[in-house]
Formats: sequence, C-alpha cells, structure tokens
Amino acid sequence: MTVKIGIPRGLWFYDYYPLWKTFYEELGAEVVLSNPTNKQILDTGVKNTVDEACLPVKIFHGHVFDLKDKVDYIFVPKMMSVYKREYICPKFCGLPEMVNHSIKDLPPLIDTEINFNKSRNSLKKTIYNFGSYVTKNPIKIKRAYEKALKEYEVYKSEIKEGSFPIDGQLNSKEKKQSDITIAVMGHSYNIYDKYGSMGLINKLKENGINIVTPEMMDYKVVNQHASTLEKKMFWSYGRKLLGTAMYLIEEKNIDGMVYLSSFGCGIDSIIVDLIERKARKKGRLPFLLITVDEHTGEAGVNTRLEAFTDMLEWRKRNEGNLSTHG
Amino acid sequence: MQNCYLGIDVGSVSTNIVLMNDDKEILGKIYTKTQGRPIEAIQRGLKEIKKEVNEEIKVKGVGATGSGRNLASMIVGGDVVKNEITAHGIAALNFVDGVKTIIEIGGQDSKIILLRDGIISDFAMNTVCAAGTGSFLDRQAARMDIAIQDFGELALKSENAVRIAGRCAVFAESDMIHKQQLGHNQEDIIKGLCDALVRNFLNNLAKGKEILGPVVFQGGVAANAGIMKSFEEALGQEVFVPPHHEVMGAIGCCLLAKEHAVKNPQTNFKGFDIINSGYNVKGMECKDCSNLCEVIEILRDGTVMARWGDKCGKWNNALKSGVEKLA
Repeated sequence: MTVKIGIPRGLWFYDYYPLWKTFYEELGAEVVLSNPTNKQILDTGVKNTVDEACLPVKIFHGHVFDLKDKVDYIFVPKMMSVYKREYICPKFCGLPEMVNHSIKDLPPLIDTEINFNKSRNSLKKTIYNFGSYVTKNPIKIKRAYEKALKEYEVYKSEIKEGSFPIDGQLNSKEKKQSDITIAVMGHSYNIYDKYGSMGLINKLKENGINIVTPEMMDYKVVNQHASTLEKKMFWSYGRKLLGTAMYLIEEKNIDGMVYLSSFGCGIDSIIVDLIERKARKKGRLPFLLITVDEHTGEAGVNTRLEAFTDMLEWRKRNEGNLSTHG
Repeated sequence: MQNCYLGIDVGSVSTNIVLMNDDKEILGKIYTKTQGRPIEAIQRGLKEIKKEVNEEIKVKGVGATGSGRNLASMIVGGDVVKNEITAHGIAALNFVDGVKTIIEIGGQDSKIILLRDGIISDFAMNTVCAAGTGSFLDRQAARMDIAIQDFGELALKSENAVRIAGRCAVFAESDMIHKQQLGHNQEDIIKGLCDALVRNFLNNLAKGKEILGPVVFQGGVAANAGIMKSFEEALGQEVFVPPHHEVMGAIGCCLLAKEHAVKNPQTNFKGFDIINSGYNVKGMECKDCSNLCEVIEILRDGTVMARWGDKCGKWNNALKSGVEKLA
C-alpha cells in the first residue's frame, strides 16, 4: 500500500512545495494537497489556533485540519533556519508543536527539523530523515532529492519570469500591458494566497498593472543590498523583502509599492517601517500598506487599491511636464 | 431648466448627497445618518434634496463614492463609481486654491492626502484600526451624555487638558474613565481626547510625510472645533475647514460625473421615482462549494436588480441581461 502524505497549502508551501511534492512522489508516496484556502479552512483555522497567532499561521492550521482524515502523514517540518546565521520566524520554529497541541486526533506529523543556522553539514542527514518515513534506502532518497531539486529550480525560474504561484498554481505569464508597474511586497504565503490576500495580485492584474514580487528577484542582488544595512537582518523573509525593496527603490523602475502584511506580524513591524521610510526618503516612491486579518470585508482593500492605482496613473500622466520623482 | 450633476457619498455613518450645476455651484446638499440602512438613507436623501432644490432640473450625470458606492450606484443608476480618496482630492482641488494637504476624518476611516502641483502625490489611510474616527467620538459623546454637536465647543473651554492615551480606542476609553473618576473637568478630558486623536493621526497616518500648507480639514469630524484646534496646535499652522466640509466626497462625485458627462452624454440615472420604490434585500450563504460565499440579492418592487458577493460569479451571471451587474 502506498503511503499518503498530506502537504498543507500554507506558509512555506509557496516557496518550496514542488521540492517536497516531487521528493515524496519519487519515493513512491502519494502526495495529497489540502484545498486552496477558503472560508471553511479559515474558519476551522481560526477556531483551532492559539489566539495570538497571525492570520497565515491560522490558515495553516485550517489546512492541516483539511488533511486530517485523508492521509497517513502530514508534512509539517520544523523549519528553524535555511541560511547561515538566519532564522525564518519564531512561529515557523514551533509550528509542529503548535499544530500538535491545537488540533486533536491528527495522523503522525513529518516534523523533521531543518536547521542550517551553523552549517549545511547536516543536509544529508536531514534529507534522509525526511525520506525515512517512506523508505529506508539512502540511495533512493538521494536520487529522489536530486530530482526534486531540479523541479524546484524550474519552479523558481518560472516565478522569476513572472508566473505567480497563486494558491500554488503557476498562472500564465502575461505580456507587459500597461506602463504602470507595482511591486507587491509581503511574505510569499500572504501575497500568493488568493483568499487570504483578498485576491490582491489578481485585482491588480485585472486593471492591467504589471507586477513585480520579491520572488522574481535575483537572490544575489537582494543579498547584496540587504548586506548594506548597519545591522544584519537575521530573519530570512525580512532580509529578502528589505533587499528587494532597497534594490527596487534604487533602480527606480517601478511606479509604486504595495505591502501586504498580516495583522500582528512581528517581523513586518520592523520591515514595513524600514521599507516605507526608505521608499519615501530615497525614491519618493508611493507606498501603500494593506493589513489583512480575519475580516472578509473587501471594501477597504478595494478602496485603497483603486485610489492607489488612480494616483499612479495620474502621476504618470503628469510626468511629461513635471518631475514627480524628485 | 438647469443641467445638474448628482453626487452621492454613502459612508459608514452618514450618507451625503449633493446637487451641482454646470457652473460648479452647489444647488443643494443633504447630510443624513446612514444608521445601518444605506438604501433607506439614499431614498431619504434624494427625497430631501428634491424638496430643497425648488427648481426644474435635469440630471446629466451621477457619481457615487464611499464604502457603499456600489450599492448607491446600483440603486440610483450611477455613471461614475470612485473611491473616496480620489473624490475628496478632486473636490478640494476645485474648491480650495493651492491646497497641498488634506486631512479627512470620516465615520470609520481617516486619511491624509498630499497634493502637489495639482495632483494627488501621496496618501495614507488608517489600517485595521478605526480609533479616532467619527464613530468613536460619537460613542464617547453618547457615553458622557453630550450632544456630538457640543463636543468641540466644550473642548475649546478647556484650560488644562489632561493626557489621554491615543493609540487605541480601548485604552483611550479606559484612560478617560480613569481621569473622570479622579474628578477632572469634563472639558479637560474632552480636550485631552482631541489632542490624543490628533497625536495618533499624525503619528500613524502622517508619519514621514511632509505636511505643507494650505492644510484642509474635511469630513464629518471637521465640524468638531476641538479637533480642529488640536490640529492647529500640533501642526503649528492654520487649518482650513471648507464650507461644505461634510459633503466633500459627494462634491468630488459631482465633479467626476460632470467630467464623465462631457464624453458620455447619456446618463444611467433612474430618476427621482426610485424614492417611491420598495427595496428588499435577501441574503444567503451559498453552500455549493467550501467558499461559502455570502450572496446578496437586491429587489426593487419584487424584481431582482442585482446580486453580488459570490466569488465565482454564478449568482451574478445568472441574472438576465440588462440587469445591473456588479463584481
């Protein structure tokens, strides 16, 4: 009988899922994804999570709940650190424990620890631990991982070319339609979750706006910019966002920046402020912060987006006669 | 017979309607409370404005704004539907010479709009928190048994303002109660609250923004002389409250409708008869998929006018053609 492994469509999913999906499928397991985020998933998530957690963590719990009775294992790795001397986010570090204590009658979790904070020496062992839930054959695991890495690289390059993984589905690349380009900033699990983000990317696209996201950036360029900070930004997500913003502000080839943040995010409390200051100071770049939480009223988001794009178009029309970029 | 443009601003607290002629003269304005029933408020407002404007008029265009703008546009037959920022910006640009900063505080939102060289160059709106907006002031006034109209005047009488926490409405309220139980004067507490709300506004929304004069203060809360004075003290410059400050959003809509009518002479306006129609709203939760959309159906005299709220468009599209469609 094949082993059924459930992958929740939340948090690191948007960054890594082709890697883990291919990995387990190559090992002969059946991979089951939870449904794209919907009201039911959000509701069960909110009901089954500690109150202080942020919206994406609550949504993640909802996805775990969605998979609960369908699979043999649920994939909830303990992601501590993926780059040297950097961390993901405190809530990622304690995710398996949080899930285990909040939701009853769960199948066993694949909660192997990923921790490359000191070095990557443990990579091989970590991969083996992940694979050992399906097979004990190290060679098979190694091959599956190599194949998975290739898939992962393809996925990343697709996104770089402008195909966004909305709910994990890469959408079609569209040709440049308008002369307005907006950078959509935010943690990948916020901006690519269609329900959680209230369709932010799609709404902008429908208005014919070109979109740039942090996932489209060259990691080296991002790192180079982030390293000019006085103090090292040791949150990986924060580092990526800051580096991206600094690069975009300097290049001046975008017209505005929209930052989607979930209410109560500790990392964003610093990052948003830093980015906003840099955007205003250096590039006089229009900046819009959108905060999402459990509320489903889209009126507020729509108003802000509409006003923002109106303003950008207006500025653009006037650019011919007046310099608005300082 | 005069050509006119109708501007409707359906906000969380008030519904405002303005009628403007071709020369940008305001023929009539109505400020009425929404009271949780926007459709009735629109009907009531239209009825009153019809009474107020005692001459023969021809409506050439309709603009709608505010959080209830889609609903308003559907009921009245709108030609332009615009967000509040653009509407307020356009109104201020047309009615205040050389305006560079707009402070707008409404029922549930507050915004700052920066205008440079005659265009909106930057803006900010409150995020998830509605502290310091009109509905919070309303609530505090009701708690202290003061008419909201007298709130501002009381603040002006204060000689020794107390410090109230302004970051959060809940903290502000407990601070106010604490100070009141210590025996402080009511006017000092109210002035303290005005200062706190202004501090909160400037720290949150105006953070990092260059506030240049002329500064215009509009929206319902601009009627509050206490808040206005606190703004002047905090900014160290004069703050103007335009004569039609409470209906500036609706004025912006008139201007937008007027601009629209130049290219599109045919208006969607359904006529003033709608004030006599009976409207019904049916809501239901669609259980066909796990999105569980809250679908709303609006009926005018028993006929379905519009449906919205469905993510997939199934209910919306099921309406026969010719009926208003809204996303």
